[in-house]
Amino acid sequence: MTVLAFALLLAGGVYLVAMLEAWTTTGRFRPLAPFVRGFALLGRESLVPRQPDRLFFEIAPMLLLVAAVLALAVLPIAPGAIGVDLATGALFVNAALAYVMVALVMAGWGANGAYSMIAGWRFLGQLVAYSMLIVMPITAVGMRAASLVTTVIVTSQTTMWNAVTQPLGFVLFCLAAMAVCFLPPFDLPVAPGELAGGVMGEYTGVRLLVMRLARLLLVLTLAVAITVFYLGGWLGPLLPPWLWTITKTLLVAAAMLGVGRFVPRLRDEHLLAWGWKIGIPLALVNIFWVGITLLVVSP
Amino acid sequence: MMLQLVAVAFFGVAAVAFGIGVFRTRSMVRSALSLLGAMVAIGLMFLAMEAEFLGVLQLMMMASEMTIMAIFMMMYMMDPGGLSQMEMTHQKRTSVGAGIIGGAGALVLSFLTPWGRIVASAPAPGAQLHDLGIELMTRGMLIFETAGFTILVAMIAATLTAIVRQK
Amino acid sequence: MITLWVALAVGAALFAVGLYGALSQTNMVMIMMGVELMLGAAMVNLVAFWRFLHPEVYAGQMFVLIVMTVMALEAAVGFGVATARFRAKGSVEMEEATELRE
Repeated sequence: MTVLAFALLLAGGVYLVAMLEAWTTTGRFRPLAPFVRGFALLGRESLVPRQPDRLFFEIAPMLLLVAAVLALAVLPIAPGAIGVDLATGALFVNAALAYVMVALVMAGWGANGAYSMIAGWRFLGQLVAYSMLIVMPITAVGMRAASLVTTVIVTSQTTMWNAVTQPLGFVLFCLAAMAVCFLPPFDLPVAPGELAGGVMGEYTGVRLLVMRLARLLLVLTLAVAITVFYLGGWLGPLLPPWLWTITKTLLVAAAMLGVGRFVPRLRDEHLLAWGWKIGIPLALVNIFWVGITLLVVSP
Repeated sequence: MMLQLVAVAFFGVAAVAFGIGVFRTRSMVRSALSLLGAMVAIGLMFLAMEAEFLGVLQLMMMASEMTIMAIFMMMYMMDPGGLSQMEMTHQKRTSVGAGIIGGAGALVLSFLTPWGRIVASAPAPGAQLHDLGIELMTRGMLIFETAGFTILVAMIAATLTAIVRQK
Repeated sequence: MITLWVALAVGAALFAVGLYGALSQTNMVMIMMGVELMLGAAMVNLVAFWRFLHPEVYAGQMFVLIVMTVMALEAAVGFGVATARFRAKGSVEMEEATELRE
């Protein structure tokens, strides 16, 4: 896939996710709102806090953007339309998503403020809770496809989507994906009311624009990941493959953005307790279940 | 071949530079994240040497591990920001001497040993992944199981050491 | 051949830096960082040997997996010990750990 096509896809996807997020909060579709907000941020003054760790303060938004783009580069949009076709594609998505956490910890520490630092460390606690729940369902998906190549994972779902054959893994992966891009109810790092904006609170102007853009791109990446791993990617009867991917991605993104508004924010200790005491045994049960069905159905 | 040599050399120099930066900076979180930079450079060296699974695994694990090291540094150090210019080392000449002797010894050994024939090409990444999995599950099963058991014992040991007992 | 030598030289340099760090630092977490660098150097050497001498034998990659596991484990247990020490004494400086000295 050419670089220009990839960039256009990213821009269009980010625009649509921004409109979906505005729709879940306000209930109305306003097509020009993302552009207006973006240009308004560009016009605002760029403040730097007193005595920041300048290296981390500057690098964090760009690292968040790079991590989201790298994860998206190994996910296929249509047969043949993939950024980089790695042999360990599914594992590379996890590796790229781990740098989201590095970026947020850098942003929290670099701003030299109590609220943002606490928000950064809280995201580390959230990572300890969700990291197993991101990797284990992907293991079960890879078991069914007998490969970690993302295009093979999509074509292995021609008979039946993974969301139907591995429902437990699907639910756990969706919850963990919402925790990765710190959407409500897992939005401790950027808790708007509680921590005065958290990690993003000390950023203004251009850097805030890059961070918000990176966060929207992260939501898009995870929606594409859920579509590719569990909802059959580009498979579907009538429409062209790329249209199927885009439709499924937008539906998943709308669900991810909308569901969290109805549930109160989860505290770190509850998230850790539920993640480790309930989530990991369920993920292991999911792997066990997938192994048994694979051995019984196709020996 | 040339590209591989350039990539290995570049990432190697980056790893050594980040490694030296770990011990030269006074800010603790910068030290931990500089170690992350060294580990990322090592992971990119693995990718340059066509061990794709190991490279991706190294990149993934070291991100989490070094950030956890950063939070522990912040918890236990007296001066996490590094602004007070405290001296944090001891026995400097012994350690520099030991480092130089160790590094020089390894270097001399690696240049003087006859390594034999260099194999020109490695298997494709997909075939590597498949064969590594088969090897882990058949010939290496005992090692794999021992590693898993060791992980479990270490998890229990670390939790018991760090937990606060009710007296 | 040259690439193998470059990779081994990088491994030797990383090992030297890690050894310097492990011996010269007074804080337990910094000593652990030195040990992590030494293990990273060992892994670089292992992958270089695997790739340039025996790419068809996967025992080399398995060894690297075991070393990676050991890195994570000794970090975990080390932090557990550091936590217990910090709770008992209030610091993890090795210069102050003189209880067993006569």
